[in-house]
Amino acid sequence: MTTLDISVPGPVSAAGDAVLSFEDLSVTFKTEFGDVHAVKGIDLEVRPGEVVALVGESGSGKSVTSMTALGLLPRNARIGGTIRVGDKVVGGLDGRGLRNMRGNDVAMVFQEPMTALNPVLTIGDQLTEGLQLHGIAYGKQAIARAAELLTMVGIPEPERRLKQYPHELSGGQRQRVVIAMAIACDPKVIIADEPTTALDVTVQADILDLLRSLKDKLNTGILLITHNMGVVADMADRVAVMLKGDLVETGTADQVLNHPRHEYTKRLLAAVPHLGAGPGQFGDVAPVVAAPEDLPALDLGNLVIEYHRVGKPTFRAVDDVSLSVAQGEIVGLVGESGSGKSTIAKCALGLIPAASGSVSILGTDFNKMRGKELKAMRRRIGVVFQDPASSLNPRLPIGDVIAEPLVVHKEGDERSRRRRVLELLDAVELPRSVYNRYPHELSGGQRQRVSIARALTLDPELLVADEPTSALDVSVQANVLKMFTALQERYKFACLFVSHDLAVIDLLAHRVVVLQNGRIVEQGPREDVLHHPREEYTQRLIAAAPVPEPLEQRRRREARHALLNKLGDDIAELHIEDDYERPQPKRDEVGNPSGLAGYGGDGGN
Amino acid sequence: MLKFILRRIGASALVLLGASLLMFFLTINSGDPLKDLRESNVQNKQQLMDQRSALLRLDDSPWERYWDWLSGVGGCFTGNCDLGVTINGVDVLGLTQQAATSTLRLITVATLLAIVVGIALGILTAIRQYSGFDYSITFSAFLFFSLPVFWAATLLKEFAAIQYNNWIAVGQYAPWTIVIVAILAGFLLQAVLGGTTRRRLITAAATFAFVTVMLFVFNALDWWRNPMFGIAGVLVVSAAAGVLVAALVVGLRNRRALYAALTTAVVGTVAYVAFAPMLVNDPSWLLLAVLFVVAIVVSVAIGAAWGGYARKQVMLVTGITGLITSIMVVADILIAHWASFLSIKSRPISTIGSQTPNFTGGFWEQVLDMGTQILLPTILLTLVSVATHSRYTRSSMLETLNQDYVRTARSKGLSEREVIVKHAFRNALIPITTIVAFDFAALIGGAVITEQVFGWKGMGALFQDGLNAVDPAPVMAFFLVTGVAAVLMNLVADIAYAALDPRIRR
Amino acid sequence: MSDIRNTAPDGEKYEPHVSATSTDAIGLAAGGSAGPLPGEDKSYSQGQLVARRFFRHKAALGSMIVLGLIIVVAFTSIGIGPIPGWWPKGYTLQYDKIGDGAPTWAYPFGQDTGGKDYFALVMRGTQFSLIIAFSVGIISTIVGTLIGAVAGFYRGWLEAILMRLTDVFIVIPLLVVAAVLGKTASGWGIWGLALVLGLVTWTSLARLVRGEVLSLRERDFVLAAQAVGTSPWRIITRHVLPNSVGVIIVSATLAIASAILLETSLSYLGFGVQAPDTSLGTLIDEYQAAFATRPWLFWWPGMLILTIALCVNFIGDGLRDAFDPRQNRNKD
Repeated sequence: MTTLDISVPGPVSAAGDAVLSFEDLSVTFKTEFGDVHAVKGIDLEVRPGEVVALVGESGSGKSVTSMTALGLLPRNARIGGTIRVGDKVVGGLDGRGLRNMRGNDVAMVFQEPMTALNPVLTIGDQLTEGLQLHGIAYGKQAIARAAELLTMVGIPEPERRLKQYPHELSGGQRQRVVIAMAIACDPKVIIADEPTTALDVTVQADILDLLRSLKDKLNTGILLITHNMGVVADMADRVAVMLKGDLVETGTADQVLNHPRHEYTKRLLAAVPHLGAGPGQFGDVAPVVAAPEDLPALDLGNLVIEYHRVGKPTFRAVDDVSLSVAQGEIVGLVGESGSGKSTIAKCALGLIPAASGSVSILGTDFNKMRGKELKAMRRRIGVVFQDPASSLNPRLPIGDVIAEPLVVHKEGDERSRRRRVLELLDAVELPRSVYNRYPHELSGGQRQRVSIARALTLDPELLVADEPTSALDVSVQANVLKMFTALQERYKFACLFVSHDLAVIDLLAHRVVVLQNGRIVEQGPREDVLHHPREEYTQRLIAAAPVPEPLEQRRRREARHALLNKLGDDIAELHIEDDYERPQPKRDEVGNPSGLAGYGGDGGN
Repeated sequence: MLKFILRRIGASALVLLGASLLMFFLTINSGDPLKDLRESNVQNKQQLMDQRSALLRLDDSPWERYWDWLSGVGGCFTGNCDLGVTINGVDVLGLTQQAATSTLRLITVATLLAIVVGIALGILTAIRQYSGFDYSITFSAFLFFSLPVFWAATLLKEFAAIQYNNWIAVGQYAPWTIVIVAILAGFLLQAVLGGTTRRRLITAAATFAFVTVMLFVFNALDWWRNPMFGIAGVLVVSAAAGVLVAALVVGLRNRRALYAALTTAVVGTVAYVAFAPMLVNDPSWLLLAVLFVVAIVVSVAIGAAWGGYARKQVMLVTGITGLITSIMVVADILIAHWASFLSIKSRPISTIGSQTPNFTGGFWEQVLDMGTQILLPTILLTLVSVATHSRYTRSSMLETLNQDYVRTARSKGLSEREVIVKHAFRNALIPITTIVAFDFAALIGGAVITEQVFGWKGMGALFQDGLNAVDPAPVMAFFLVTGVAAVLMNLVADIAYAALDPRIRR
Repeated sequence: MSDIRNTAPDGEKYEPHVSATSTDAIGLAAGGSAGPLPGEDKSYSQGQLVARRFFRHKAALGSMIVLGLIIVVAFTSIGIGPIPGWWPKGYTLQYDKIGDGAPTWAYPFGQDTGGKDYFALVMRGTQFSLIIAFSVGIISTIVGTLIGAVAGFYRGWLEAILMRLTDVFIVIPLLVVAAVLGKTASGWGIWGLALVLGLVTWTSLARLVRGEVLSLRERDFVLAAQAVGTSPWRIITRHVLPNSVGVIIVSATLAIASAILLETSLSYLGFGVQAPDTSLGTLIDEYQAAFATRPWLFWWPGMLILTIALCVNFIGDGLRDAFDPRQNRNKD
């Protein structure tokens, strides 16, 4: 164990005994290819009213750790050490004891609100079943309690919502429902596993506000699992950093984020893009050299893109968008999900047709081209997609992947293609030995480098990058971004850089375009848009993005609340009546007028 | 919803029309309808050939003939159906009505059985994945869909019918048979119920003892030839079923559901005693149907009355219990009539035909006769479909059990039963509706073969004889009946899909 | 694997290997399928992984051996066409009957009513049935793959036709269409029958391939290929089909299994293989009445059909597990 415990018992941690503790926890999975040691003996505790953030990159074992507290690991897991929830030892409980504990003592908020709710049951069904199971309320009272829970988490018209199905709610609302389910039986501790990762940044800020008020008002302990340092800075009282199954550092948020001791923590923090820090964080961005009279690399004029759906009205994904990217310029396209940013990128690549308006590449209209002309034009555009897992053909070795554009455009012979591929591998800082490897043998970051190399194979004048670093861990993202800026400086391509992450845009882009619901809200030089936004939507967006520094983040949070107040919006928080009564399992017949609902029997199995 | 159904019906009608066109042209081009006459040496060969040409309108264009057939079918909407005549001048409509009843009965029973048994087995194997039970069911499933139906039918005829008929003449089990059956039963039950080794051993031993004793007692009572079940039997089985259903659907924690189910079983049995004279002595199908509907309504009402916080689920519990009780009542009456049936027909299981010619007997004897006639073909058809359904349900269930919302449900503290019944099962059913509809066409194909083996004069024979003679009218009649049945089945599947999946409902 | 990691740029030392070592509960459950393998330095190509998983499927492996034996014996024993085999007796000659013709060492499968050697007859039937089954499997796979891929990739009218055809086959049972076509083709010999059956059985495979292509064409690597100007044909053959190979191979296997059942059923009904050709189905049809007196005439062809179909189905199951290991996750 290399844990550097520099935590000083603060005012919060002094309060009461731990509601959740892990002692020397270790988890091993038996797999097809031998044992995998996922957690290697860690100690951690969460106290009432405290948020402990468990931080780490993918594969660090943080989710596995949390699942052990509920006893929900797959059958091939072997668990060592002691896990305590309140006064219960999880390992010592039998099936019924475990089920009794789940929901009652410890509850879970999952990452994906889209899949965490059962699509064929109503919200009401899913909320009341926990209440009835743990004997808190039955029948009409359970429904009333469910409505109360929905009100608490800030969902309007709770009675109507109870009768609806999950697909009728937005992502943020679903996550609120999941939180309502988690607090339904008033657990001592809530484990939130990446609760905001799948959400847009404004929704994320709301959900975090809600969770914060929850621990304040109900004194619940929260174990927050996240990879996002901004979220940590916003929420955590204490932080534990995990690396490959080990805890490498624990301490208060201020200690860990501002004065990291361990090498890995330092590296991790250095890799986080910081909104407001501007360019230069990961290498300088070259200034735009194009003269004003040069043709723009990409010019969109009054672009409209529509999706035709059978039996439903046509959906207008992009509405009257005009923007241009000068040669050698990086333009950041930002927006939340559904804003149409990826649709615009695909249209600029000629993958989906425009309903009206023009898409011009270096002065030629894309939509008017056919056949050979179109193919010739395509070689001047490169593309990098988001998901490293799906952006490379799994059946082709890396060498073939990168050489593919050369083959398609019948350029060079075998030997010159090979030379070009090796040159590109050097440029994206990959070893030449990957030439004969297959994509599944590479890590995510390496695959994304291959994607970039493929995009640059034909020396394009324009690169369209659709969230190229969103699926990567921060440290990998930092390296890819560094390399990206270096490449841009060297090859001087223009770039349409699509991202939802304002901090990434802040350190790369020359100009920024903000989209909302298919329309442009604001566009201009990076400085203006990101640091002095004029439009209300941009202000909200920027205010909602967390930064990885607790004090600054607190200031930003308060500023955001002030902004919301000014705009007349509610701040998300737990709505609790003054006479709010803590739910208690009822051992009498309330809710069961005839007194026939016995509690003696088990649930069947 | 209505719009959705209407659109589906419209689309199905078009598909049916296109398919009929295809079928018609393929059939009339499949050979030479005059072949047998051409090769014969009868005197008036030419005259017979002309006669048949005129009858089949061989000189008219195929389009005219198709149109003629289509307008004849169109007449069905106005009450004067005309499906044409066969090559021998027999009216096809009459033939079809006769054939359709027996074939549709066969297919419907097989489909329903296959759905219930297949889905149940699929869920059990999914829950007990990689157990001995799972492996044996998986192997059987593979065996069944690798089985040549016509071959298996002959085997079944030999071993299930002829051997059984020989045996029932005496109706006694040899002691070693009893021991083997009991061991098998014990093994099977412990595999299904599972649990710790100790629990499995106890289950197996108890089952073994129970089955052994029961079989010896049956032997002693000559039960197999003079079986009886009795009111007590009905009550015990219905009550046990009620407890099981309550445990499965809402769990035994909810005492109201349990008491409601028991009430239903008791009320059902009492009603049976009250109505017994009416039921036992030659009732009519109508009376049975009315009583059945009343039984279900009363059962659901009992559920509503007990109600409690989970009223809807309790109503479901009592409804199912009522259904099972009704089935037990009918079973009791049928069992009581077995002895008199045996005295009329000493070799009960038939291997030929869809009903015994010149069968005389009361209402229940006739029901038994129909049952023994349909038994073997149904087993055969069901086996193949059960194999498909159980495999499909198993994989669908396993897929569902790995979903996030199942994990959410578990994290709430729900028991495995609730997770499976409430959260996984309904989602797993959604893709199954599609496969059931697809499988229906395969079942009709299977029915053609089965009917041939068992010598039924059903739709299969109509099709086969028609095709052999290149005679379009009976082939098209076959197509019409099975096609419409398939379309209806699809419609039911679509509605079931919409009912199960709220995402496409509105 | 480790060589890459060690030579990787400095900053990536902490970079986790996304799918393999992601020990987050879900990642692990699906692990081992796509990513590099934890705890082993050896790396596997996709093909090796598939082979490795297939050979762990005992039933599939056993079936492979049994089926191989059946094929070898069926074709070498009585020879093919003009090439003679090692079995001394022919299928046309009538021999003196030994007793009632029950199986003996000289006639392992017994003799039929006329004294013909039943082993030779059954082997000939097996040859025909196998030839038809495999031809049907190959034809329907090729047709189904092509139509499915084109329909899925281009959508449009071809897709509409494919889907309507599928609807038609929900309304007309496959056996019925096959019977009508089989009767039409009965004069064309077994190759005609194989062709006709192949041409009616491709729809289910086409639907599967179409579904696969529909999901693949939204994958980023296909979009990237499109963006660079790759021709549709190259995208289909180089990017889409190689990635659907699992679905195609599994379906092709299952198509062979259903083809052998379809052919024998048709032959039994009299709409399939016609004399002088023979198949396992016609043998059963011919000798079914003899079941009570000479059961072996009935048992052998039936058992062979069952064995062949069962073996092919198990091989298909093994291949499915090998290509799509998702459902094996809870083993251990």
